Amino acid sequence: MTSYVVRRLLDLVFVLFGVSVLIFLMLRMIPGDAVLIMLGANVDITPDRVEALRRSLGLHLPLHEQYWQWLTGVVRGDLGRSIWTGRPVLDEILARLPVTLQLTGLALAAAIVVSFPIGILSASLRGGTADTVVRILAILGLTLPSFWVGVLMLYFASIYLPLWPTIGYVPFADDPGGNLARMVLPVIAVSLPMVAGLSRILRSSLLDVLSLDYIRTGRAKGLARRTLLYKHALRNAMIPVVTVIGVQVGYLLSGVVVIEQVFAIPGIGRLVIGAINERNYPLVQGVILIVTAVFVFVNLLVDLAYAWIDPRVEYA
Amino acid sequence: MRRRILTLALAALIGFGLAQTLEIAVDQSPAGLDPHIVTAFSSFQIIGQVYDGLLEINADLQLEPALATGYSVSPDGLTYTFDLRDGVTFHNGRPFTAADVVYSYERIIDVETGSPQASRFAIVASVEAIDELTVVFTLAEPYAPFLANLPNLTIVAQEVVEEHDNLQQVMVGTGPFMLAEIVPDTYTLLTANPDYYRAGEPGVAALRYNVVPEASTRAAGLRTGAYHLIPDVDPATAQTLGGVTGITMLGVQELSYSLIGVNTTRPPFDDARVRRALNLAIDRDELVEAVYFGSAAPGGPLSPGLTDWALPVAEYSCYAPDAAAARALLAEAGYPDGIDFEILTLGTLRVVVDAAQVVQAQLADAGFRATVNVEELGTFVQRWRNSDFDAFASLNGGNIDPDGYLDRTFRSGGSTNVFLYSNPAVDTLLTAGQRAVDVSTRQGIYADLQRALACDGPIAHLAYATLFTAHRDEVSGFVQTPTRSLRYLRNVTLN
Repeated sequence: MTSYVVRRLLDLVFVLFGVSVLIFLMLRMIPGDAVLIMLGANVDITPDRVEALRRSLGLHLPLHEQYWQWLTGVVRGDLGRSIWTGRPVLDEILARLPVTLQLTGLALAAAIVVSFPIGILSASLRGGTADTVVRILAILGLTLPSFWVGVLMLYFASIYLPLWPTIGYVPFADDPGGNLARMVLPVIAVSLPMVAGLSRILRSSLLDVLSLDYIRTGRAKGLARRTLLYKHALRNAMIPVVTVIGVQVGYLLSGVVVIEQVFAIPGIGRLVIGAINERNYPLVQGVILIVTAVFVFVNLLVDLAYAWIDPRVEYA
Repeated sequence: MRRRILTLALAALIGFGLAQTLEIAVDQSPAGLDPHIVTAFSSFQIIGQVYDGLLEINADLQLEPALATGYSVSPDGLTYTFDLRDGVTFHNGRPFTAADVVYSYERIIDVETGSPQASRFAIVASVEAIDELTVVFTLAEPYAPFLANLPNLTIVAQEVVEEHDNLQQVMVGTGPFMLAEIVPDTYTLLTANPDYYRAGEPGVAALRYNVVPEASTRAAGLRTGAYHLIPDVDPATAQTLGGVTGITMLGVQELSYSLIGVNTTRPPFDDARVRRALNLAIDRDELVEAVYFGSAAPGGPLSPGLTDWALPVAEYSCYAPDAAAARALLAEAGYPDGIDFEILTLGTLRVVVDAAQVVQAQLADAGFRATVNVEELGTFVQRWRNSDFDAFASLNGGNIDPDGYLDRTFRSGGSTNVFLYSNPAVDTLLTAGQRAVDVSTRQGIYADLQRALACDGPIAHLAYATLFTAHRDEVSGFVQTPTRSLRYLRNVTLN
């Protein structure tokens, strides 16, 4: 078990290295010159000034030298400085990461809390009206884009609940009530597709398990329907659900990018969108690296959860 | 005792209606704060509250005294003497003097600073402080736009520059508001300057610029009262917010405009007949309806808002839409089968993309087969700057003096002449417009220039939008300016 975790953490280093090479090259392959964007439609752009700025940012060096400089910095824990503000990239990220993690965490929790009863209900009442309604709603939830749902909710809230604080962000430490009140709508918008996806997976996975022989045996020997469902079926139906949760965390992180834009929440998504538009190379690289690490780490937790759910799973 | 004084002071503040914060919703964080370096509108709408120039531009586009109380010009038009306001202090408490004007000028023209304002003051030969409150600018040659450029000479404090190396993160000016706090991607907070030189201003205790990227979110926040004021409302949102009770919508004719610019060194637009045909093929009235919901005015090279200078569009023969005449011109220029070309546009500006599509459809009748290529900012700027386009659609800013926009855009080698347009007759007129100091002589020169540029120049000017600002009814005293400046936030009070 321990050796498995260590090996997976070592894998993480290689994954991060691969991602760093990819993101470094991809960023520079897309057209657009960071220096020209910075100077914008300036009245006085001379080739000298462009060159001077390029030098001061270290962008005149050949690509492999730029990469090497950046990589050696990263290994020492220095992600470089933002091209535009001059602030350390790590500071920029750490200022926003808690915001995004709070939003993602709440959305994940909300999705699990809501989708489980729905999935179980739908499976146990298979073919009934409730099941049909749930399935239709699930399709809707999967297809409605969360930014659109967000904007709609914002509009309705502004008309029917004008006193409800919906926009922006206040740190939890400053104003816990205000912080949570502002999280409600974004959390609903982000978790909606996940609720739909999870409840569908849980439903089908439960149905698979419920058709297995041991369930029939249990029923034959007179076990209560409730005991059968919760004690014997649910646990075995969890493996695919947990896998999907792990994958969904990735979608959640990308969904949050758009929702942060809609609700004016100062998180990682806002940071990275701005950084990409500005071709703020060190900032984009830093954010992607951190987000990748979070994603890989979550998947490691998912893999470890298998053993907890199903003691037969062993890590070799 | 101390507590009592504080309470009294607070009560006094409330009595003057000062104890409130005006909540403003803007789309972006400021891209740096150094008034001599930045170019972004997101920065200027904040900087303008904190710093002053010698003169400022009022809502009627006239120059008004700010840090200078008056000036005199020598008869030869070479020497400008400014009397400075007495008793003004910077936010750090130090008195403002003529030496600060000299320093600020020197900082702008210093190549090390890299200020985009430098070219505006290239004509200045020397700046001297005669005494504490008198400063003299001597020009190398008469230069009519000089005074109009002066609001760009923002007065900064030398000791602050030296302490912080640059002014991108810190602001110490003489203006009505002082920098209190910046929270990246969240808000910028300015507080009232208690020693501001205009008595009774500002009218609120603080301004908070909330960063809210989505237009629909800003509009929703205005409805709920989370925000008091949103500047620069797009035409579609202005339509929806216009009818809401409790919200006032202000509109003013803007100086900036939408345009189709062409590359004059590439076929087919290297031929002036093709450029004229392009103008003939565009129906500007229809475009105003389709893109701006009627809230814009067709215009030529100068904004109709510049009432002293702009010619009425009826003067331009190519502004009456005529697809048949356009086809004939194309045939004459050697394109009887029409023309295929690309219009480059910028995805972040909704109005521009809409305008490009409307123009694309209109041009089709005249034999122009345009492909609209929507790019994101980075790619657009690069291709724009390198003149790597057949044609592009964009927005351009204006200036209160006609020279401010025309010279850099149309002079051969001009700094924003990405069209690579070169016309010796235009260059001569541009120089004449700068040298002539008499207003009526200049009006004649700029009328000639507008006629020369409207139909055959490198830009098909489309429309000058109405600039909208929305605020809640509890806000009073806000005056909107065609320059997009938010200077009159200092007059705003909250009821």
